[in-house]
Amino acid sequence: MNIIEKHLAKAADLEKVSVGEDIRCKVRLVVAHDVTGPMAVEQFAKIKIEEVFDPQRVVMVIDHIYPASTVQARNMHWILKDFTKRYGTILYEHGQGVVHQIISENHAQNYGDIIIGADSHTCTAGGYGVIGIGVGSTEVAAAMATGTIDLEVPEVVEVNLTGSFKPFVTAKDLVLTLIGRFGTDGLTDKAILFTGPGVRGLSKDERMTVSNMGIEMGAMISFFADEDKDEGVAQTVAIELSEIIPVVACPYSPANIKPVQEVAGTEVTQVVAGSCTNGRLSDMKAIAEVLRGKHIHPDVNMIVIPASARVYEEMEKHDYCKVIRDAGAVLLNPGCGPCFGAHQGLAADRDVVVSTTNRNFPGRMGSREAKIYLASPVTAAKAAVHGRFVDPREPSGGGEN
Amino acid sequence: MDIIKGRVWIFQDNVDTDQILPGYAMAEPFNELGKYAMKGSEKVDFAKRVRVGDIIVAGKNFGCGSSREQAPVALKEAGVGSVIAASFARIFRRNAINIGMPVLEVDLREHFNEGDTISVDIAKGLIFKDNTTFYAAPLSKNALATLEAGGLIERVRKELGVEKRW
Ligand code: SF4
Repeated sequence: MNIIEKHLAKAADLEKVSVGEDIRCKVRLVVAHDVTGPMAVEQFAKIKIEEVFDPQRVVMVIDHIYPASTVQARNMHWILKDFTKRYGTILYEHGQGVVHQIISENHAQNYGDIIIGADSHTCTAGGYGVIGIGVGSTEVAAAMATGTIDLEVPEVVEVNLTGSFKPFVTAKDLVLTLIGRFGTDGLTDKAILFTGPGVRGLSKDERMTVSNMGIEMGAMISFFADEDKDEGVAQTVAIELSEIIPVVACPYSPANIKPVQEVAGTEVTQVVAGSCTNGRLSDMKAIAEVLRGKHIHPDVNMIVIPASARVYEEMEKHDYCKVIRDAGAVLLNPGCGPCFGAHQGLAADRDVVVSTTNRNFPGRMGSREAKIYLASPVTAAKAAVHGRFVDPREPSGGGEN
Repeated sequence: MDIIKGRVWIFQDNVDTDQILPGYAMAEPFNELGKYAMKGSEKVDFAKRVRVGDIIVAGKNFGCGSSREQAPVALKEAGVGSVIAASFARIFRRNAINIGMPVLEVDLREHFNEGDTISVDIAKGLIFKDNTTFYAAPLSKNALATLEAGGLIERVRKELGVEKRW
C-alpha cells in the first residue's frame, strides 16, 4: 500500500485497502462555510437528530461573503450562527480568515487524519499531511450526523520532486505547470502524492499552495508525503524543480498555461493578491518585497487580502501592511475577497486581472468578458508595478525606469 | 430502482456548474431551482422544454467547476431522470447521487440523436434504445445503496435508525 492507502485503511479500521474499494472512514473534522454551510444545515435538519457526532469536530467559517454584501448573504451568516448556538459546534466569523487557512492554523491535525469540507479546495490540507477531501453540502450534513464518510479508494499518481526552485520561481509556478500538463480533468477521482527530495525544500506555505490546486486537475486528494519514494502507485511523474519557470494560466482555464515571457507586455488593470492559494505570510512578504519603495501603476487597482487574521497580524509586525498601503494598494479584511466574484473588487468586461487565486473560468470574478490570469504573488506584484506583465526573473525586475 | 424512460438531450464536453445552474440563481429556494436548469448552457430554454424523466447524454467532465450542490438539485427539480456522461467531475457525481439523482458513466453521444426515447436500468447500468443495449460502468456499492434509499439523507436516517424514533 502507498501512504495514502495506509491512512485510508487506518481511518476505515481495515488492515488493507485496494484501489476502487468502497470504504467507510472516520473523519477528524467536518467543515463548511457561509455559502455551502446553510444548505448543509438545512439537510442536517432533515435527518432529525438532536446532536452532531462531536461538536468539537464540526467547524463553520464565515469567510466567503464577509462583511455581507447583500441581505441574503447576511441571512446565510445567521443560519450558521444559529446552528452553532444550537449544537455547540465551532464558528469562525468577524473576518478571521479563509476556511482552509483557519483549519491549518487552529485545528492542527495528526498526520494522515481525514478532513472533509463542503468546499472544493479542502484538498489544501494535503500540504501539511492531512487528507482533505472536498464534498457537497449533503455529504457534510451526513458526516455531521455520523462522523464518517464513504469513499472509493483512489488510484494514486505520484509526483516525484527533485532539486529546488531558481530565484523568482515559486510553488504557484510548479502547480500551474502540473495543471497545464494533466489538464483540468486529468486526475479526476485520483489522488496526487508528492514525494522526493525536492519536497524537503518546500515550506508548509508552499506545499499548501500546491495542494490547494489539486482540484484544478480534478483530484480528490493532493497530499505531501515525507517519503522519498512510494510503493503501489499507478504512475510516477518526475519533476526537477530547477527546470520550472514562471508561468501564468491564461483566460479562461487554469490549464491554459503559458510562460510569463510569452505574455510579457500584456496590459493589466487589476491585481488581486490573496486567497487560500496564496494569501499566507510568505506570499505577503513576496508582494511587499516587490512593492517596497515603489508605487503601483496608475492604471491598476491592486487588492491585497491576507488569508487570515493571524497572517494580517504578522504582516503588521513586519512593515508589510505599510509598504503595501504606501504603494497604493488596498488591503482588505481577511477572507475570500473577490476570488469567486461575490464582492470586494469585481471585474468589468474590459478588465484584465492578474490574480494569485486558483480559478479563471469566464465570470469567476464578475463579467464573463473580463480576462483573468492566474499567477504567483511575485509575478502579480510586478505586473501591478508595471501595469503590464513582466518576466519576474529579469534583473531589473522587468525594466523599471 | 425503477426503469427510467425519457427523451435524450445531448450536451458536449466540460459542461460546468455555471452552465447547469448560473451563480445568480444560487440563492433561490430549492423548489424554484428547476426553472434555471441549464440556463447558462447553449440550450437556454432547456428548463421550459424538458419533461419528467428526460435524460441528459453528455461528454466528458460533466459538472466541473464549483462544488455547488444546487446544480444537480436544479436538474432534478426540472425533472431530469438521469445524466449519462462520458465522465463526471467527482464532486458533481457524488452530489447528484447524494440527492438521489442517478448518473451513469459511458459515452453515448454517437449513438443517440436529440429527442430519441431511451430507457435506463440504473441498478444494472444498462441503457436501452429500440433493440440495442449499451453498458455503463457499474455504480459503486455505496452509490447504489444511497440511490436505493432515495438519497444520502434518507440513507443516514435508516442507518442511524432515526425512522423508528420519529
Ligand atoms: S479564497 Fe477563493 S478558492 Fe479559496 S475558499 Fe475562498 S472563494 Fe474558494
